[in-house]
Amino acid sequence: MTGDVALSEGMPSGSGRPVINGTAVVTLTIPCAPEYVGTARLAILGVAGRMGFSYDQIEDIRLAVGEACTNAIERAGHVPGLDAGINIRCEIQAERLTIEIEDNVPTMNGDAAGAEGEEDFSTQELGAVLMEILVDEVAIDTLPGGGTRARLVKYTADNA
Amino acid sequence: METTNMNLKVTPRSLDNDTRVLDLEGEVDVYTAPLLRQEIMDQVDAGVKRLLVNLAKVEYLDSTGLGILIGGVKRMREQGGVLRLVAPPPRITRIFDITGLNRIFEVHATEAEALA
Repeated sequence: MTGDVALSEGMPSGSGRPVINGTAVVTLTIPCAPEYVGTARLAILGVAGRMGFSYDQIEDIRLAVGEACTNAIERAGHVPGLDAGINIRCEIQAERLTIEIEDNVPTMNGDAAGAEGEEDFSTQELGAVLMEILVDEVAIDTLPGGGTRARLVKYTADNA
Repeated sequence: METTNMNLKVTPRSLDNDTRVLDLEGEVDVYTAPLLRQEIMDQVDAGVKRLLVNLAKVEYLDSTGLGILIGGVKRMREQGGVLRLVAPPPRITRIFDITGLNRIFEVHATEAEALA
C-alpha cells in the first residue's frame, strides 16, 4: 500500500478535456484503506458544495459516498495482502450529480461478509440501506474482473 | 485518560462508581470506529452499569459507528447495564430516525435527563 491519492478535475484519464459533452467530471483515486475514506468525503464536499444542494443534501451525499467506500474497505479487510484502490468519478450536471465508486476488491459470499464484528448484524447491510435512503438512485454492480461499482445519483431539485 | 487519533477524540469521565460518560469529539467512521469500540469495551469490562455516550461534538457518524453503538447497547444489556446516547446534533438524530435505530437507542437531550 503506497498511500497515493490522485485527484483530477475535469480531465478523466485519456480525454485531456475539462468537460465532456457539457458535463464536468471530477475523479479521485484513493487507496482502499480506512484512513483515506475521509479524503473521499472531503472531495465530495467540494464537488457537491457548489452545486446548489442544501446542507442536509450535501451531508447525505457525503455519507452515501462514505458508505460505498466503507463497503469496499471492509471487503478488502478480509483479503490479506490485497493492494486495492477505489476510483471515484463525479459527473456534474445542472440537474444532478452522479458519482461512481469503483473498487477492485473481490466480492464475498454472505458468510464471509458477516464473519467480522461483534454486533451480530451486518454493518454492510446498514450501509446499503443508508445509501438507498440518502440519494435518489443507487445501482450496485459486480464487475466481471472482480470488484464492485456503486452508482449514486442525487438530483438538485427537491421534487426529483 | 483521553484517547485520540487524527479524527476522533474519546474522553471518559466518571460520574460515580457505576456511571461513566464517554465524550466523543470528531468523526466516527471505518477509520476511527475501532477506537470507540475499544473504549466502550473497556467500560463494559470495568463493570460500569450506566454508560452515557455524549455525541454533542460528533460531526460525522456512519454505519460502522452505528454498529459499534448497537454492539455497546447489547454488551451493556448483557451485564445488566444500560448505554444511553446524549445530545446528538440534528444531523445525527436524523440518521437515527431514517434508519429506525431511534427504536433501539435510548437518546436523551442532556446528561441530566439521561441520569434521571
